[in-house]
Amino acid sequence: MPPEDHKAPAELPRPGHSRRDFLRGSSLAAAGAVMATSAETAMHEARADVSEADGVEIFSGSCPIELKVNGEAMSVTIEPRSTLLDTLRNRLNVTGPKRVCDRASCGACTVILDGDAVYSCTTLAISCTGHEVRTLESFETDEGSVPQSFLQNDALMCGYCTPGFVTACQAWLEKNPGKEPTLDDIKQGLDGNICRCGTYIGVFQAALDAAKAMKKGGA
Amino acid sequence: MAALWPDNPRLIGEGVPRLDGLAKASGRAKYPSDERPDGVLFAVVLHSPHAHAKIVKIDTSKAEAIPGVKGVHLIANEGATLRYHGEEIAAVAAESEEIARDGCRAIAIEYEVLPHAVTEAQAVADGAPQLTPRGNTQAGRAQEDGDPEAAIKEAAASIEGEYSVPVITHVCLETHGQVVRWDGDTKMTVWASTQNVDGVESEMAGAFNVPATDVTVLTPVMGGGFGAKFGADTWGVAAGELAKKTGKPVWLFLDRIQEHLTAGNRPSASAKLTLAADKDGKITALIAETAGTGGISRGAAFPLPYVYEVPNSRRQHTDIRINGGNARAMRAPGHPQGCLIMESALDDLAEKMGIDPLQMRLNSLAEQDTVPSGAGEPLNRSEIYRDQIKLGAEAIGWDQRKPRSENAKASGPLKRGFGMALHQWGGGGRDDKQVTCIINPDGSVELRSATQDIGTGCRTVLAQIAAEVLGLNTTDITSNIGNSQFPPGQASGGSTTTPSMAPPAYNAALEARDLLFKRIASALDAEPGDLEIGKGVILVKGEREVPWKEACRKLGTMPINVTGSFSEGLTAQGVGGCQFVDLTVDTETGVVKLNKIVAVQDTGLILNMMTWKSQVYGGVIMGLNYGLFEELVMDPSTGLCLNPDMELYKLAGASDIPAIDIIPFDNEQMRKRGVIGVGEPPTIATAAAIGNAVANALGTRVPNFPMTPMNVLNALAKA
Repeated sequence: MPPEDHKAPAELPRPGHSRRDFLRGSSLAAAGAVMATSAETAMHEARADVSEADGVEIFSGSCPIELKVNGEAMSVTIEPRSTLLDTLRNRLNVTGPKRVCDRASCGACTVILDGDAVYSCTTLAISCTGHEVRTLESFETDEGSVPQSFLQNDALMCGYCTPGFVTACQAWLEKNPGKEPTLDDIKQGLDGNICRCGTYIGVFQAALDAAKAMKKGGA
Repeated sequence: MAALWPDNPRLIGEGVPRLDGLAKASGRAKYPSDERPDGVLFAVVLHSPHAHAKIVKIDTSKAEAIPGVKGVHLIANEGATLRYHGEEIAAVAAESEEIARDGCRAIAIEYEVLPHAVTEAQAVADGAPQLTPRGNTQAGRAQEDGDPEAAIKEAAASIEGEYSVPVITHVCLETHGQVVRWDGDTKMTVWASTQNVDGVESEMAGAFNVPATDVTVLTPVMGGGFGAKFGADTWGVAAGELAKKTGKPVWLFLDRIQEHLTAGNRPSASAKLTLAADKDGKITALIAETAGTGGISRGAAFPLPYVYEVPNSRRQHTDIRINGGNARAMRAPGHPQGCLIMESALDDLAEKMGIDPLQMRLNSLAEQDTVPSGAGEPLNRSEIYRDQIKLGAEAIGWDQRKPRSENAKASGPLKRGFGMALHQWGGGGRDDKQVTCIINPDGSVELRSATQDIGTGCRTVLAQIAAEVLGLNTTDITSNIGNSQFPPGQASGGSTTTPSMAPPAYNAALEARDLLFKRIASALDAEPGDLEIGKGVILVKGEREVPWKEACRKLGTMPINVTGSFSEGLTAQGVGGCQFVDLTVDTETGVVKLNKIVAVQDTGLILNMMTWKSQVYGGVIMGLNYGLFEELVMDPSTGLCLNPDMELYKLAGASDIPAIDIIPFDNEQMRKRGVIGVGEPPTIATAAAIGNAVANALGTRVPNFPMTPMNVLNALAKA
């Protein structure tokens, strides 16, 4: 990381409020760690339309950004505090990733950011400008694909956690091409996801089958 | 109609993948929380930050002044008493969720904070704040059979024990909520995450005084309920009010914190009991004082004695109210609690008498425990249990089990143990539900019912039934459910959905088939009685095959549209099962590691083996969570819930899942019973079996569930 990414929050020029205040106000302090240069620039440039009503601090403000989602360039106006998950779901109508825990505990919101599986509920949207976001809506669905493998193994019940599991599985397979995982590999790879219906047994088999199909397909 | 399920089915009983599985696995399935109608506003609920407080003053003017805030609705007014952390106060609708949250923060409230009682001990202590005019405790009438005192005196052996399990919560992954859109002054469309489409329709119609026919509730798919999602709830009505006030559709789903605090819980349970047996190791007497809290509401009672025949028993139960969210039905309400208390005590008594607990269970089953068999003679469930126990014991390797005393003496910190437990459930169908079957002239077939799929595969199973009758593939049928405008559907509770909906689906398909034959026979130069269903074809006089689509074209322009109802003989109720656990406990860290779980389950006629197994796995895993991890933690000093999230409220992840061996108790006799329902039973016995295996491994009982390191180490310290 270039040194400018490590500027102390107080040094960030921002009208009205420091980034530290902003983070405190939006309860997203944990997400600060993932802020990249582009994000800080976008924040800095944000036209912070800050209203302050007698001691109640309001941190709204609009911030037009460009996002690349599933290969498509999208313009969207967000707030600096908007998460990637909320931006996808509430502003871009990309509702595949689900909001469940909203604090990086369950994995239902998993997306692939530049090839890495990340929790979109604790990733700020502005930190994603200039990066590639992929959601499960962009995955292949034909024979041997991860979604198809989930279907064949009944690796879903209510299905609300399924997008996260499918995405984590896809990301794992892409990171480990040609590898035939063991059951333990699969369990470790999917340990960031939680299912309340208890479909794990089907999910494990789906992941094993998808890995086998991927290897066979030479992908 | 006296139809029975077919003897030699082509599809029924097979594992057929879900019709909506690929949509769910590719992110294309639209859940209620995914709906974004044009112009939608986002609403956020403001909830009580106190366990017990009075609202002295509430001022929403600053919230209303925030640019982007479009409406504020008060759920609790000045003077109202808030009875728990998380109780709803107001809802704010705005152009974005972020702004709606600002709106909630800008509502100025002056509270008079009242003394609280958030634990059962606090609620029953001298000088506790009175949470209701009738007090904090409510004792049920004592239940008595025989003469328990005398039986205990005469018994060969008895134990006195105390056992407890805490309050847990449902953790539906899709939180509770709705999207409400008014279409004119009286018509309303509601996308609701509910397990009760028809119930939400009538609740919303009642709340807004509009005809039920003007309310359309849509639940094409939903993200879990487990008993917590039967109603529109105060926040659903608030969404309707905000939509009315703003003239825009309103999206309102709880956040995870509120979901934990206010959307329902499974009550705690505790028991102080004496259990006694005769010299042959048969239970003869039980005296129990039991208690539990469901939060601010009642509903903490649970069945006891459980499963076994206890000729002499007395039980006195007390419900305790605390400043906590409301109890709601949760997967097999009451049974997991009753099961783990009864099964723990039975195991401890067997240990004291030096009897194999498996044998003690066999000894203590009722001689006659009859359950309906559908069309035939009633069945004796005790005999079914005996067969199931044999299967389960073999699959877990029960012969490797050693008595507690021997395990306790084993060297090293890792101790291995085996445990088991039995459970039962009702299931069975309701007779007032309907399914419509439509055969169109182009050969397409559609089923319609208001019922919903809570995740069990209802949509697929109904299509499978119609496909069976009409000689088609399951994928040829469009199964339209989750729409309150369709014929009445069963709420998903009590494992009653499939047994309520399968018979009308079957009857609708049969009637549609017969009507099809009647309408097209002459065009095929035949009598209706000459026609039969083949695979994808209509057979004329057993010879000529007319492809399905070609035959349907003879309908002309008029589709067939028939509505099927319930009929006798297609369902039964009353199931049982047993579960076995093999685990290892680390006595230095207190960590319990599951090696294997075996679940044997009967449920009458299994319609789809694939989705059936998923449900049993799912039930076992929910039971595993109950046995090892789950506990809603209240802070006695502040009155707040300490873990309304998914980090500190622990649920099993991939690495926590052991080998799980599911054994369907599926034979000719069971299939003849008809459909029963399997959602609830397999979740009941798991925690009890885990507790017994832990006691077996350690040589001492861990009396407080869940089997967390803290509870395990506490028990070891006292041993």
